[in-house]
Amino acid sequence: MIEIENLTYRYPLTDAPALQDISLRVPRGQFCALVGPNEAGKSTLCYALSGYVPHFYRGELSGTIRVAEAEVAHTDLPHLVSKIGLVFQNPFNQISGARFTVREEVAFGLENLGLPRERILEQVDEALELTGLTPLGARSPYALSGGQQQRLALASIIAMQPQVLVLDEHEMTIVLVSHKLEWVATFAERVIALAGGRLVGDGEPLDVLTDPALVEAGVGQTRYSQAARQAGDQGKPLPVTLAQAVEFFDADRR
Amino acid sequence: MSSESISLYVARESGLHRLHPLTKLALAGLLLAGGLALPQAWMTYVFFAAVVLPIALWGRVAGALLRAIWPIALPFAISLLLVRGLLWPSGTPLVALGPLSLKEEGLQFAAVIVGRILVVTGSFVLLSLTTRPDALMIALAQRGLPGTITYIMLASLQIVPRFQAKARSILAAQQSRGLEIGGNILKRIRALVPLVIPLILGSIVDIEERAMALEARAFSLPGPKTSVLILADPPAQKAARWLLAGGMLGLIAARIAWWR
Amino acid sequence: MQIAVEQVSFSYPGGVEALRGVSLTIEAGEAVAIVGENGAGKTTLARHLNGLLKPTSGRVLVGDWDTAEQSIAQMSRRVGLVFQNPDDQLFERTVRAEVTFGPRNLGWQPAEVREAVDEALARVGLSEAADTHPYDLHLAQRKLVALAATLAMHTPVVLLDEPTTGQDAVSVERIGTIVDRLHAEGRTVIAISHDLDFCAEHFERAVVMAEGRVLADGPTRQVFTRGEVLAHAAVEAPQLIRLATALGWEAAPLTVEEFLARLRELRRSR
Repeated sequence: MIEIENLTYRYPLTDAPALQDISLRVPRGQFCALVGPNEAGKSTLCYALSGYVPHFYRGELSGTIRVAEAEVAHTDLPHLVSKIGLVFQNPFNQISGARFTVREEVAFGLENLGLPRERILEQVDEALELTGLTPLGARSPYALSGGQQQRLALASIIAMQPQVLVLDEHEMTIVLVSHKLEWVATFAERVIALAGGRLVGDGEPLDVLTDPALVEAGVGQTRYSQAARQAGDQGKPLPVTLAQAVEFFDADRR
Repeated sequence: MSSESISLYVARESGLHRLHPLTKLALAGLLLAGGLALPQAWMTYVFFAAVVLPIALWGRVAGALLRAIWPIALPFAISLLLVRGLLWPSGTPLVALGPLSLKEEGLQFAAVIVGRILVVTGSFVLLSLTTRPDALMIALAQRGLPGTITYIMLASLQIVPRFQAKARSILAAQQSRGLEIGGNILKRIRALVPLVIPLILGSIVDIEERAMALEARAFSLPGPKTSVLILADPPAQKAARWLLAGGMLGLIAARIAWWR
Repeated sequence: MQIAVEQVSFSYPGGVEALRGVSLTIEAGEAVAIVGENGAGKTTLARHLNGLLKPTSGRVLVGDWDTAEQSIAQMSRRVGLVFQNPDDQLFERTVRAEVTFGPRNLGWQPAEVREAVDEALARVGLSEAADTHPYDLHLAQRKLVALAATLAMHTPVVLLDEPTTGQDAVSVERIGTIVDRLHAEGRTVIAISHDLDFCAEHFERAVVMAEGRVLADGPTRQVFTRGEVLAHAAVEAPQLIRLATALGWEAAPLTVEEFLARLRELRRSR
């Protein structure tokens, strides 16, 4: 679903590349988490997947990014929305401001696509249901709490039914950016770690999130792996989730 | 915490509310032209009481209309009556106030202006109270107005309150760092810098993020857009719009004729 | 400097009741974490402590000052509030100038200001970046600039609003160290957070809020083991407490060190 080959990218007016020689394949339906310290290039990689790099930010790009058979660098942004949907960090600026209820806000993108009304309503209702916003459909988007606005931003993108979602869960290929490692380890099938614009780790959550080199690189670790590592039990795989930690310390139960 | 839109719209079940937005726009245009075309000041007041108010009553927003108008019209009326009445160069003095006197001609002039303000604000407020701004913009877009223009008009209604909220956060942050906002003019001007700069920088960031988010919603996709809002537009209303527009033009023509 | 929140209720102009009869006394030098989900009233409470908001009923005393009788600028001598979003305050061309703003408002001598600024920059690890434009730094660093800008004002009370949100592991650790040092120096540190792992490691006292009320208040260890209270407040217990509970331990370790000490003890006794 996602194929990246030798991607290197430099923002305009900067010296150091934000992404360096990244190659990555993500199959259809996989739930991947993207982790790494601040300024590792996580946001830039998301922008590259969804076309903002290079269409919005310009800059110098080499290598190829293909998402759902489309060559991102050669496809206009509005034609990428059915292939990949990006939910940004700040929910507030994702509210269009042009619609006065939550339901119509979610419909806005589909109206821009020119879909027939019945189909729009179907997709909107489904997205509202998935995000638990159905009871708030008639409210003003600006009357929602921060958390609800985050769900609204997600619903607005889910409603457009992209094949790749950059953020949360659904039957779609998902790329999620997070610092919440316990959550990532519990839900993601695969973890990709970036640091300094380079791919530094890629694999099962358990392997990536306990790799001492990645902890050193600033990816961080859960308290479970930290405690287990320092407990000094050789030979056993380190835990990243509560369940794994319970298993790890099984002999120490009371 | 803060109001989420500066739109005046009040949701009510009324025949006026159910009219197509463009019909309401045409009606507001007729009221506006009617109020401005009348030759005598007293007629404007009668027009307001006998035409604008009953229509507002039909739309069940008469109270809201008056509440929205008086803060605009009253200060205008008082200052105009005083300034025009007292400072009219020559004329018939009615009441003497020390060395000054209220002149009849000045008061008459002020009365004309106040009447017009009443009708102008009345017709705009009536339209705003009974018409959802998004519905009006969608109707205009369907008639060919570019999407960017309708977007800017709609978004600004909701972004102004957001801008105010941001200004309040910045004020809170700087006061928490010891910024005094009182004092003499010089101090006040100096206190503006730490308030205005984060507001400008923040707005630039907001605009960029908003532009990106709009792309994610296919906003710049060329081609026809659809709408989930159904704007019922029966033939009778189309006919009514032509009549209203014709009436408006007629009034304007009559007014120009009177002027001659 | 003692902080006393006495029966404080607060409603926003729109009518939303954000605080409902909150009472709380914080002694000088305490490190207190206020936890709860979004909308629980944490930020509203924090804004009462530095006088940004005045109670609808009840009162807030900071030392001998009633916040209702002081200007916000005056309150900033006693309570330094570090906001969540640094971009609401950064306006100068260099990091140094930005950090100078607060102390200068307090009317100190230039030499005192300079010393305070240097010290605050060193504390947050930004001495090297003193001449950089704040917007050339990334968000996590800009948060540190905002923190330094408040620390430079040498307030006896430091109030942090969500200091770890969006921060990576290294930054969270740095903020933890800064909190520990302030605490060791005897300054009052209060943090608003929903990161209970961070709170467990750096705060001795925890206050749990939900729906504008205080649900629990006490030593962190006690409060963070009250599962039903945390569930009601919709926050998750720290990882190590959850692990210890799952392993059937009575102990509630707050840090990895405590966890390991308990583990060794257990293994020795077997």
